[in-house]
Amino acid sequence: MKREHPDSGGSGSGGDFSAPAAANGKSKCMEEPPDAGVDELLAALGYKVRSSEMADVAQKLEQLEMAMGGIGGGGGGGLGFCGGDEGVVSHLAMDTVHYNPSDLSTWLESMLSELNAPPLPPPSASSTASNHPPPPPTEILLDDPLAPAESSTVATVDFSHNRHGHQIYTSCPSDYELKAIPGRIVYGSDDSGPDKKRVKPSKPSSATTVDPPAATSSSSTARPVVLVDSQETGIRLVHTLMACAEAVQQENLKAADALVKQISLLAASQGGPMRKVATYFGDALARRIYRRIYPSEDLSLDWAFSDALQMHFYETCPYLKFAHFTANQAILEAFAGHSMVHVIDFGMKQGMQWPALMQALALRPGGPPSFRLTGIGPPQPDNSDALQQVGWKLAQLAETIHVEFEYRGFVASSLADLEPYMLDVRPSEVEAIAVNSVFELHRLLARPGAIDKVMNTVKALKPKIFTVVEQEANHNSPVFVERFNESLHYYSTMFDSIEGCGGVAANGGGGGGGSLSPGSNNQDQVMTEVYLGQQIYNVVACEGADRVERHETLMQWRDRLGSAGYAPVHLGSNAFKQASMLLALFAGGDGYRVEENDGCLMLGWHTRPLITTSAWQIGRTRTSDDEPPISGLTRPESDSP
Amino acid sequence: MQTNKEENKKNNKKKKKRKEENPHLGFTINDNPDLLMEVLHRLDGRSLGVAACVCKLWNSVCTTDSVWEALCNRHVGRMDGCDDGGRSAVVAAMGGYKRLYTVCIRPVRTRLGNRVGNRAGWTRGEIQLSLSLFSIDCYERLNGLGSGSVGPSSSLAFLHEPVNVRIIMY
Repeated sequence: MKREHPDSGGSGSGGDFSAPAAANGKSKCMEEPPDAGVDELLAALGYKVRSSEMADVAQKLEQLEMAMGGIGGGGGGGLGFCGGDEGVVSHLAMDTVHYNPSDLSTWLESMLSELNAPPLPPPSASSTASNHPPPPPTEILLDDPLAPAESSTVATVDFSHNRHGHQIYTSCPSDYELKAIPGRIVYGSDDSGPDKKRVKPSKPSSATTVDPPAATSSSSTARPVVLVDSQETGIRLVHTLMACAEAVQQENLKAADALVKQISLLAASQGGPMRKVATYFGDALARRIYRRIYPSEDLSLDWAFSDALQMHFYETCPYLKFAHFTANQAILEAFAGHSMVHVIDFGMKQGMQWPALMQALALRPGGPPSFRLTGIGPPQPDNSDALQQVGWKLAQLAETIHVEFEYRGFVASSLADLEPYMLDVRPSEVEAIAVNSVFELHRLLARPGAIDKVMNTVKALKPKIFTVVEQEANHNSPVFVERFNESLHYYSTMFDSIEGCGGVAANGGGGGGGSLSPGSNNQDQVMTEVYLGQQIYNVVACEGADRVERHETLMQWRDRLGSAGYAPVHLGSNAFKQASMLLALFAGGDGYRVEENDGCLMLGWHTRPLITTSAWQIGRTRTSDDEPPISGLTRPESDSP
Repeated sequence: MQTNKEENKKNNKKKKKRKEENPHLGFTINDNPDLLMEVLHRLDGRSLGVAACVCKLWNSVCTTDSVWEALCNRHVGRMDGCDDGGRSAVVAAMGGYKRLYTVCIRPVRTRLGNRVGNRAGWTRGEIQLSLSLFSIDCYERLNGLGSGSVGPSSSLAFLHEPVNVRIIMY
């Protein structure tokens, strides 16, 4: 932590102060010859501070903070700064000439001497301004209390546990910019309540006051002012992560190494989902950095373990259930009127999707069809026949509810190995075929040509419907930093949502029947996070054929499927209603949103869509309205009580 | 049934005594289990649970599935085009209406009813959703997952956890 303080002190220096008076200020920068004995960590970030002077610099920074006074309020202050102390700050902003902020000790002395002249307001907590090592000439300091100016990709990292609200972060891939840190960092302080956020106006009028709620809008030239509390370590954490990714992309392994260590320190200071996400990403970055030095370790998991992890994911969050229910609804509608049906499942796993479909088929008017299921799965390392076992379980259920059932398991290490003749499909006049893929297609993008082969294979099967569920994110960009930022955003949102629905259960376990011990729900949540963590490792640390988590967005899949000759099938309102009701059942139900996007259904957390279900068929577009309503189960009219 | 008959005899004797002592006492519901069944068919879920605790006779009536089936079917009405008899068979095979109600319908109803305000009736969608979840429950129970015959299976555990209202401040 000792390192932290001078570092934070260092970046606590002012930012880009405009030169006096002119409408566009200019700052002057004097170059100094590089010094020997400069602190390495700060040098990596663009500051020159001699190691011998560290303590001195730190002390001056504290004085500076005190002098700048009541900007933002006490030790855990909020996001704005007081209108009252506007005078001091604007003085610093407008009237002072600053030279070479990267040489901290001389700069600090100049600041302190400036500040000693005007009357000092009563000292209170600290304030800082962020710093850009080469100061752009047209910067105006301290306008915007919040986020830096670039486009936002890292989003709503949820600081709700700090109760300071959202911050919208922006990715700044171009430099190692870190937010300025005030001297006193209060770790994990939750107690600075909403009142600290508020502006304390002692002098109400000021030309450059910006309201804290204007956080989301930032002028393009604004410099952020970050006030002391643990929230800003969160900001630092995000920036450090992005800086590290940038360093890795530029193959600057020394800087990356230094930053990775910082990440773990900073992550420890956070709590809740932010900490977990940061830990996973930090780990992933470390793996990526060190794999160049060490031979590549086998990051792939035993399939049985990853199946078990997915079961925890299934139980804890609504994502998989949403996927299953919506896909089942589409398949059910497609099977209307057929007496022999065949489903081909690209990722059989534990077969949790099929009981609900079998039940719906059993209850449809006219009775159940004869139901065939072909399950495809990867080879098991211990040669146990997991596919057959799942088939056996499903057969038992089918027998219970009197549905004629036939099962075939098919082992394939990649879907591209499949040929149509292997699947033994009957002609389409005889049986209706549905192909189902939940989180399986994106893996094919790792090998060239695989996805096209599979598309053609599916077409050759002539299915009535092809249901696809995929993650809604672009984690397949060839540029590493883009991938990193996208996935940081995505998984932060995911972890937030898990916190939303998993956290409730941590109190006292199951309500009825004593089914779960108090600790096990937490364990479920942990295992879910491990499951997502595996994906994070794959996206960040792997490359080439190993990197299988190549998620793409709905638009990209639409293009792909469209050009392969598929037409979209619109999922009906019934699917939408079922999905909405399902989500409402979950404890974090308020946060989940179902959206309809041109016939596809997207499940997201607050404003961010996370997974998408879409349905396809070969040939012309049709909607489910074209189908005659055949069963009470699928009628799209409003439900009558 | 044996104990019931014996109890009925005893009760009848007592009643006769009371009748002699107090001619105003007449018919009691326990005399006629069929009538009791008819009455209980009209109760809602919570009342059925309470009724099951009254006495052994009532308990035996309340644990028959037909009472719960009446409960489940009452609000929904006929699901158009869907064969009621067929549905009964399927639900019975999957574990019975009582389990369907306690494990699926009641929590679904509670949670959804809270959100949409006080709706008196159930919707078809809720029933469909409950049936889907019930099938998952059945599947897991058949395969030994979950806690056995009493509590919900592990995939449905989320329905039975206490729901806290958390205020998330932004």
